[in-house]
Amino acid sequence: MSEKTEVATRERVTGRPRLLIKQKAGFVYCPGCHHPLVARAVAEVLEELKVDDKAIGVFDIGCNSFLVGLLDIDGVLTPHGRPPDMATAVKHIYPDNVVFTIQGDGGLLSIGADPLMGALSRAEKITLIMLNNAVYGTTGGQMAPTSLAGQITTTTPEGRDVSKTGFPIHAAEMIATFKGTAYSARGAVNNPYNYERTREYLKAAFQKQMSNVGLSFVEVICDCPSNWHLSPADSLKWIEEKMIPEFPLGEFKNVDKIE
Amino acid sequence: MSERMFIEGNVAIAWGATMAGCQAFFGYPITPQNEITEWFAREFPRMGRVFVQTQSELGSINMLYGAAATGVRAMTSSSSPGWSLMQETVSDLMNAELPCVIVDVQRGGPGGGPIRHAQQDYFQCTRGGGHGDYRNIVLTPASSQECCDLTQLAFHLADKYRNPVLVMSDAIVGRLRETVEVAAIDFGPVPAKDWAVAGKARHGDGKRRVVDHCGDLFARYPSYQALLQSLDKRIKRMQEAEVRYEDYQTEDAKTILVAYGYTARVSKEAVNTARAEGIKAGLIRLITAWPFPYEVIGQKARQGSKFLVVEDSLGQLLEDVRVAVPSSADVGLVSILDRHMPSDGGMILPDKVLAKIKEMQ
Amino acid sequence: MVTSEVIIDEEQCQGCGYCVKFCPRGCILITGDKFSPQGYLLPSFVKPDECNTCGFCAMLCPRAAIEVYLNFGSEVPA
Repeated sequence: MSEKTEVATRERVTGRPRLLIKQKAGFVYCPGCHHPLVARAVAEVLEELKVDDKAIGVFDIGCNSFLVGLLDIDGVLTPHGRPPDMATAVKHIYPDNVVFTIQGDGGLLSIGADPLMGALSRAEKITLIMLNNAVYGTTGGQMAPTSLAGQITTTTPEGRDVSKTGFPIHAAEMIATFKGTAYSARGAVNNPYNYERTREYLKAAFQKQMSNVGLSFVEVICDCPSNWHLSPADSLKWIEEKMIPEFPLGEFKNVDKIE
Repeated sequence: MSERMFIEGNVAIAWGATMAGCQAFFGYPITPQNEITEWFAREFPRMGRVFVQTQSELGSINMLYGAAATGVRAMTSSSSPGWSLMQETVSDLMNAELPCVIVDVQRGGPGGGPIRHAQQDYFQCTRGGGHGDYRNIVLTPASSQECCDLTQLAFHLADKYRNPVLVMSDAIVGRLRETVEVAAIDFGPVPAKDWAVAGKARHGDGKRRVVDHCGDLFARYPSYQALLQSLDKRIKRMQEAEVRYEDYQTEDAKTILVAYGYTARVSKEAVNTARAEGIKAGLIRLITAWPFPYEVIGQKARQGSKFLVVEDSLGQLLEDVRVAVPSSADVGLVSILDRHMPSDGGMILPDKVLAKIKEMQ
Repeated sequence: MVTSEVIIDEEQCQGCGYCVKFCPRGCILITGDKFSPQGYLLPSFVKPDECNTCGFCAMLCPRAAIEVYLNFGSEVPA
């Protein structure tokens, strides 16, 4: 009988993803902000799919612009609203790369409506990611295309009046109606279950691009504690009680082939 | 390759871009440059190069930004109203230091009514229609041959300075068919672009690259001042090295015409007729509207020449000539109001220019 | 002997409290007596014996400031 000995083992269960850059100085996100959490999910998915060497991220102006400093991949920062255009050009020039965009709800649906429609109309094989926190965060909390009815913002101080300013846009459902869309989903990162599901949505979205099926889109409900004027814990409650009922989570389109 | 073709200026621009190794073209329909977009739509896919018809001129300029960020030679083309839409991103291209070529085939303005030729984008192109302190080199072809050759020069200068370069044509030069010797001009090797984005696998050191248009905010420059100093240096380098113009019979000229594009050809005709009648007239034809040949004009002014600006606008190039000439009394103008007929097809013709030359004697 | 280690990087932490909220066993608490260099109230890993290394604390940390380790002995040939 052979002799055995006990060796002390220290196993890393989980922690910072390799592609998520640790910033010592200049970290701009507010406590509890979900932006860097989504970056974490993207980092984990890119590592899992082994495409970090091929990934090119295209970032909009807005709080999402600072994500360019968090992800250790090639990145392009663009003028406000324009990422789908830059991503289109990059993808045509380097079709083998995984090209994705990250924008806010204002960036994609308001000023970015022109590039968005262009990408959808041409069915570009890129992955669009939209962080939906129902305000323009970087500029101090103005009404956004996804602001809820009655929501108080700096440009709707009495609450959003739908008879004057319309209704929140449901991007994931809308994008799912386009023939060239291979994948459209909405997730959230307000609890571990939703985080895991969102990570799966992101993975599916990238895989649609890698298999050359069509355009893929993931909307992620995020908080904005500073502009919602809520603590991080209360922001999570706001997401659960107000945002998710308005913007249901799930996959709205998932096809393997587009004729 | 070298081939003799009978083609219009717009198509010559497309050939010039192809000779220069342009890999990507993005365009949106707008009169009077649809021939350019349609040429690329036909030819580029056959060559394995990228063509995208965009959803708007905003799409065109922003896709150009994306392509330029990958380091490939890329171009877009538009006309005056579309060029207006592009201004924010041109400002961003400057901060981002991205080389690219933008073609403006000028048409009338302001507004959307006049779709035929004019020369009213001079300020917009030479002063930079977008926000902030920047300048672009502006090349002004006056023939189909120059459309082909100056477009190639544009790509070379864009890479040399890491700056957008404009080719400012007009609807007459664009639609005029002439004989063109289409051949690649050798400007030397294209500079390496280690800064370009292409996915980490393509970089020798495996480290990521980032292209941004907020160089001060994202620490590409240590401060806003540092960014401005770099831009200032670049602008001065371009001003010192890239002035180009044609000197036509100005050695003994007492009346010197200043013009570019189609009005330069009209002016040349007027100069020839004037000379035949014994008037010592000459022409300085801009090949770069920016940087502007202030020095040669100032020199001629000090030697006693008077100037006649011939431009199809209310007076934009006029102001640059006035800067160079000590006394504004010595600067005359043949303007868009002197066209031969009132519709938007009216042109400045040699007879009007000749009459003005005689008036100035 | 199996022990869990939850290491919170006190320079990165912004005191948002998500780790506290999502730990199923209440192993992390903001005790109110520790501040980060930026002045955020820091959490502490107060119940290491209850921890089952589920990793939720690390997963939901917006600053990826938490590393989770499992220490155990494994038998190997001598």
